[in-house]
Amino acid sequence: MSAREQLAATLACGAVLAAAPWLLSDFLLSLALSCLMYAALAVSWAMFCGPTHYLSLATSAFFGLGAYVTAWSLESLPYGVAVLAGGLIGVAFAALIGAAVLHLRGAYFAVITFGLGELTLHLITYTEKTYFHTAGRIISDAPDNAAIYWTVLVLTLGAVATAILVRASRLGLALRGIGADEERAQTLGVDTRRVKILAFALSAFFPGALGAAMAVRWTYIEPLSVFNPFIGFQTVLMAMLGGAHTLIGPIVSAVFFSLVSEFLRLRFPYVFLLLLGLLLIALILYLPGGLASLLRRRGRADA
Amino acid sequence: MPEALLAARAVTVRFGGLVAVDGVDLEARHGELVGLIGPNGAGKTTLFHALSGVLAPDAGRLLVAGEDLTGSAPHVFAAHGVARTFQMPRVFRDMSAEDNVRFALQFAGRTRRHAHDAFDDARTILGFLGLGAASAVAAGALTPARQRLLEIGMALGARPRVLLLDEIAAGLTPAELETCAQLIRRVRDELGVAVIWIEHAVRVLMSHVERVAVLHQGRKIADGDPRAVAKDAAVIEAYLGEEGVGSEGGRERRVA
Repeated sequence: MSAREQLAATLACGAVLAAAPWLLSDFLLSLALSCLMYAALAVSWAMFCGPTHYLSLATSAFFGLGAYVTAWSLESLPYGVAVLAGGLIGVAFAALIGAAVLHLRGAYFAVITFGLGELTLHLITYTEKTYFHTAGRIISDAPDNAAIYWTVLVLTLGAVATAILVRASRLGLALRGIGADEERAQTLGVDTRRVKILAFALSAFFPGALGAAMAVRWTYIEPLSVFNPFIGFQTVLMAMLGGAHTLIGPIVSAVFFSLVSEFLRLRFPYVFLLLLGLLLIALILYLPGGLASLLRRRGRADA
Repeated sequence: MPEALLAARAVTVRFGGLVAVDGVDLEARHGELVGLIGPNGAGKTTLFHALSGVLAPDAGRLLVAGEDLTGSAPHVFAAHGVARTFQMPRVFRDMSAEDNVRFALQFAGRTRRHAHDAFDDARTILGFLGLGAASAVAAGALTPARQRLLEIGMALGARPRVLLLDEIAAGLTPAELETCAQLIRRVRDELGVAVIWIEHAVRVLMSHVERVAVLHQGRKIADGDPRAVAKDAAVIEAYLGEEGVGSEGGRERRVA
């Protein structure tokens, strides 16, 4: 599929999905919301980490920061503006830490991005306690579920469209070169430092904006709940299991795992994490190329 | 005499206590084909790393077309027209041969137009190198010898003014080696680029270059007409412990 066709397909899916609030029950709508959220997180993670083989654990930090933008500003700003601001804060934060740590690779990069997330969590906890004398914040007059759903849908479509455009662009080519052999890419004229910071920052818009958009689902916001590392780990696992180098893999995988984990949580409330863990182990052992490798086996899936 | 397109002035590169390149001066002018030889471990590849920005020299200066690029990142050297190949091919293995060349065209080769329009697309470059039939093949699936040719293709895609070739002919048969040398001369003749060529097959190299520089233990011990250099006492001395001048073994011990 060409980039144009992929964009058209994305738009068509979006049009169908936009009808959900009128058709689905509250429960199913919230399930769809969590599928969309994880699809957007996984796609935006894979946008940078897929081609470059970086392992970023900063998703939770971007998400949490975005959520706090909403917590701080919802009384003075419209919801849509808060969501946009959350995305931009994610971009700014990613550009800052990207400039500082993108020269690190492998486990070092993973650990430091995780550490920076924890640092942000504690910084916010400290700020809230010291200057605002509060441990958490209550979100009042949240938008209704349909508005949240449409906002998250727009963000998801935006993430997919951005991923499509990046893959088809010189930026995407440069990222692939960086993943294959960074120094070689440099000797062929790629300013790898600039490219990496740019792409990392771009990919952080969506987790930041999603954090801001999803924050209103909690009535009470505290650092530990919105900077939940589990969100970041889930995102990474979904993207990798789906096949982070593909476009469709992370989407399919995010939807699949959101549904499975919801089903397990309802049917086996006590052992669901255990079952999820076993499922992940089985997939890693028997399907290391991710779910996308299944599609590929059948014929030419997306490249 | 035209200005040097690439000039190293007293370049020194150290690895801890080891001086891999020791105060080397080297120049390449427009349209000049320069050979760079020396026994294993002489510092040839390390010098190439410095000339292409991969390693910043500990001392000395690097000038590209008169502009001082000392300490700049590799992409700056590439943008100024310095393109190189790697001794151990470093092609993008998962990309097709054509995409490998296109990568160079899209980045280093994007802003600069050289005189020769025939090298403005990947297929033409691959065809020129005799890799036309392999353009859709994943680069990692090519034989090492063909990957070295593809390395040249990537360097050409960068639309170079200076071409640094590091043992591109290793593993080639004598006939292939001769073809390869002709190819390099054509590149030089048709594009007017300056070429610095490292090769262990010294005799073939000497028969094609106009000038040859000899490195030994990091120092430049000779630089001049190949016939004169071959008779140079210091050069013969340097090679005696290793192998005779003109030995054509495809030895590929890696330098630093």
